[in-house]
Amino acid sequence: MRIRGRVVIFAVLVFFCWSGVALAADVNDLLFRGADFHYKGKLDEAIASFQATVRVDPGNEYAHNQLGILYAKKERFNDAFREFSRVVQIDHRNTYALLWLGILYLRQNDLNNAFEKFQEIIRIDPNNADAYYYLGAIYNFRHNPAKAIEYLKKARDADSGEADTHYRLGKAFHNVDMIYNALLEYDRALRLKPSYTAAINETGWIYYNHGNYEQAVKEWKKTLKINSRDRDAIFNLAKAYNDLAWKALSSGDKKKAVRYWKKTLAINPSNKAAKYNLKKYGKY
Amino acid sequence: MDRRSFLNLLGKGLLASSTISLFPSLVWGKTSFDYALEGQNLIQGGSYEKAVKALKEAVRLDPESDWAFGLLGRAYRGLGRKAEAVDAFRQAVRLNPEDVYSRMMTEIMTQKPIPKLKKTKKPLTSLEKKALEEEAQMLSWLRSEDGLRYQVKRVVIDAGHGGFDSGAVGKAGLKEKDVTLDLAKRLHQRLQRSGGIKSFLTRTGDYYVPLSERTVIANQYHADLFISIHINANKNRDARGSETYFCSERASSKEAARVAALENAVLKYDTPFKKRRGYIDIEEILFQFERKLYWSESGKFARGFQKRFGQYLPLKSRGVHSANFYVLRKAKMPSILLETGFISNPRNESMLKQDVFRERIVDAIVRGLV
Repeated sequence: MRIRGRVVIFAVLVFFCWSGVALAADVNDLLFRGADFHYKGKLDEAIASFQATVRVDPGNEYAHNQLGILYAKKERFNDAFREFSRVVQIDHRNTYALLWLGILYLRQNDLNNAFEKFQEIIRIDPNNADAYYYLGAIYNFRHNPAKAIEYLKKARDADSGEADTHYRLGKAFHNVDMIYNALLEYDRALRLKPSYTAAINETGWIYYNHGNYEQAVKEWKKTLKINSRDRDAIFNLAKAYNDLAWKALSSGDKKKAVRYWKKTLAINPSNKAAKYNLKKYGKY
Repeated sequence: MDRRSFLNLLGKGLLASSTISLFPSLVWGKTSFDYALEGQNLIQGGSYEKAVKALKEAVRLDPESDWAFGLLGRAYRGLGRKAEAVDAFRQAVRLNPEDVYSRMMTEIMTQKPIPKLKKTKKPLTSLEKKALEEEAQMLSWLRSEDGLRYQVKRVVIDAGHGGFDSGAVGKAGLKEKDVTLDLAKRLHQRLQRSGGIKSFLTRTGDYYVPLSERTVIANQYHADLFISIHINANKNRDARGSETYFCSERASSKEAARVAALENAVLKYDTPFKKRRGYIDIEEILFQFERKLYWSESGKFARGFQKRFGQYLPLKSRGVHSANFYVLRKAKMPSILLETGFISNPRNESMLKQDVFRERIVDAIVRGLV
């Protein structure tokens, strides 16, 4: 009897060990398949894989987080919110889920809840670059450059590999005329992402506001080479050419002024100021 | 050389050449591949420390090997060195975006806090040195304010119309463009005198500035608020009073919608935003959030200014209106449009001619700002 009992216990143990291994193998397989589908853009297949994962392993935070992202991509924002909230219920230190909850609050224009989520992340993880980034961006939107600089610097120091962080930090510095810092951060953004036209356009303004019109024009032209329909660059250039035309006109050089107005019209054919002035001074 | 020593030498040579052909790495050194393979075997055997050593050598020899970086990530993970593991996995994904395993591991590991990776310091460039000096000078007196209150420290003042565009003209000949310019200059001077708020003008003389350029100027100076000054007009000469406009998604009245539609029709530069399916654009979420935030702030400012007009000006308050003005929409800050009286109303026109009345308008605007 004793021996039979031991055999049964042993058999049960073997079964549980085996099924545990099989379960782990299943979960890992499902996770990998889900991740692969997700990367390949097969969102429905990825959702099915991760849903299967959470059926087998309801506490799998990664699978729930992936489901959250996938639902957000499918614009099923309530489902996404539910998945991220589930992760936080499983483990309140899951900063990835908290971050996405913050982003979803931002999407709903719920500033206070978004802010609170990002602050919570910082309390859990004082090195979280993403949370610092969003907090810095929010302070930038509130036009509080001192706070924006403080948070975006922390984001940059935690992870210097994000062009957006450098760009927004550059803007915060730019807001308080700290032009060397602004230039440096725009430059860092551009090193990481040379096609970052917003950073090029802002660099142009720094040059322009300091009287280096030639360099400013070069910067905005650089943007147009990347995107010929960039509205900011078009209007910045039109403004610069109009200003230069007025400058030339006031110094008595009408020919030069006309040349600049022609340039304005070439870049922005509906510019009423250039049209009018060319009509008036075009004969020169 | 005798025959025996010749055979000896030949034998050594043959031995050496066969050794070289069997183990080329003894002569030419081990390749990145060799080290990576060795690392893989060590990981399988659970010798993570040794694996890290071999794999670091592999990535040193070939910094483009995503395979070696992925293995290095695994080895670090085996040692519990999360920060290094994530760094190696990220590098692997950067080199090969199709490395699903490394991508997955990065995502799994970064769900929760990981320790900060120590960075090696590089010598500073000249721009970095200048930036540091600037920061030391500036940050000490940069007032850091907590809270999420919207802050106004820079204002762009836009005098409506100008040049060939005189705007509305009163019965007695008063031109809108002249009144708006005078009001803008007075406001600018007042703010300069009182300090605290920096102001910029979109025009300083009688010339025309296109609408698109006016918001460009506001963006140029990173303004916190864009104030466009106008004087109203109506076919009905009895129409009188002040009103304030701001940009919003929905028009507050049919008239406001009509005005906005008229202005929007002339601009044709923006390509409509094409939403990519199955993709979340975080920056677009932030952009939309920022825009709505500015619109909501614009509404607050508009109500604030209109309240002051009601309190301090002898004009009927016609309230606050909103519409989706294309030009105001592109301002990267809250923006409002003030209509301080009707030039078409003879009584309003005569008031608008007076210095005292213009000063009262400026007073009301300054109070609205504060």
